[in-house]
Amino acid sequence: MKNLDMNQLLAARITERQENLYRLAFYYVKNQEDALDIVQESIRKALASSNKIKDAASIDSWLYKIIVRTALDILRKKKKLTVADDETIEYLRSGEEDYYPDLDLQKALEGLSVKYKTVVILRFFEDLKLEGIAEVLEENVSTVKTRLYKALQLLRINMTEQEETKRWKKN
Amino acid sequence: MEKKLKDLREGYLQTPIPKELKDVVQAALNERPRKKPRIGRNILVSAAAALLIVTASVNTSPAAAKAMIDIPIVEKVIKMITFVEWKEEVNNSSAVIKTPAISGLENKQLENGLNDKYLSESKQLYKEFTDSMSKLKEGEKGNISVESGYKILTDNETILSVQRYTDKISASSSTESQFDTVDKKNEVLITLNSLFKDDRYLQVISENIKEQMKQQMAEDPDKIYWAEDDDLTPFKGIDENQNFYINKDGKLVIAFNSFEAAPGYMGAVEFIIPTKVLSDHLVGNQYIH
Repeated sequence: MKNLDMNQLLAARITERQENLYRLAFYYVKNQEDALDIVQESIRKALASSNKIKDAASIDSWLYKIIVRTALDILRKKKKLTVADDETIEYLRSGEEDYYPDLDLQKALEGLSVKYKTVVILRFFEDLKLEGIAEVLEENVSTVKTRLYKALQLLRINMTEQEETKRWKKN
Repeated sequence: MEKKLKDLREGYLQTPIPKELKDVVQAALNERPRKKPRIGRNILVSAAAALLIVTASVNTSPAAAKAMIDIPIVEKVIKMITFVEWKEEVNNSSAVIKTPAISGLENKQLENGLNDKYLSESKQLYKEFTDSMSKLKEGEKGNISVESGYKILTDNETILSVQRYTDKISASSSTESQFDTVDKKNEVLITLNSLFKDDRYLQVISENIKEQMKQQMAEDPDKIYWAEDDDLTPFKGIDENQNFYINKDGKLVIAFNSFEAAPGYMGAVEFIIPTKVLSDHLVGNQYIH
């Protein structure tokens, strides 16, 4: 009956955290339709393998793990399309975007590879502890720490680059 | 940096949540979990098919049933047939309950005893299902599936081993089985105790199962049994009422229901006990060899 309780617990947790799960999914795919698909598919996966949860405390990071994986799967499937889209958008945008200050960091974050982006989101936006992130990514804590540090470094670098470009543009 | 990250976080948290999310989540949660394949379902298909024909004609046509009675029986045929089958579908829930009956035994006391047991258990199961349906409020969906049936595990000259199973699927699924093994020649029901000289076999079998559990876990990390003493509900050993049957090779098989000796995802597990482990304790080798 262990499993039955776990399923109930899981369902309750999913209901409670649905917005967090959606946001995370949305962050990867940037559109509502795909994000909803990811949430739906992740719940299916979660229910189908709920017996793999070792203890109730790790449900959250386990759910994030499923969301991240499902999102990456979808991204991989759509990769070709995204590249073309980005180029088009970039071409059409032609430098009119830099009005909001946090958009820079936003862009900087977007510029990171998925590997680094994920640690930043989970740590700073979803408030997961390093141990939790380690569970999501199935890496050890010190790897996560290094990756997070590297991500922040990259963000700073990216930001400086953008700030410099902006300054240069103003001049 | 800190400040900027906070701003970024605000932006992230303001991701618009679509109205549909709630429905999508709820619908996904209410989906029926995909059914795990039942272990060892591939039974003698031809035998089952043949049986089905017999069953169908007995059940559907009184004339055929009568005709069968009138056929002079040359050879004593002890068989399992489907005595009655109930099907019901309401409120997104379904129940399929098949009740077997054994026929052809001269020992009517044994035959009736078994058949009465099968019928009353099926009735009980059906009642449980209709009770839980009637408890639902109007418009509420049950999402329950109950399937009960039987399969013939061994049917040779000496013995007939039958498994009766009940699958219940609601939030999670569980399978429970019961087994009966009948000595066709002597027309007696075989119990675990009756196979052995004394009760030392309980320990012998339990130890062997623990060994098999540990070996399987060592070979395949995906397998988990509650074999270790520090497990929450460690497998301690079997008792004389343990589910068992005798397979076609004449080996003793110890069967566990879901959750009994392993986590739920392992399903119902079975262990074949090597006959050489048992040989010192067996009364004879007519059933198990």
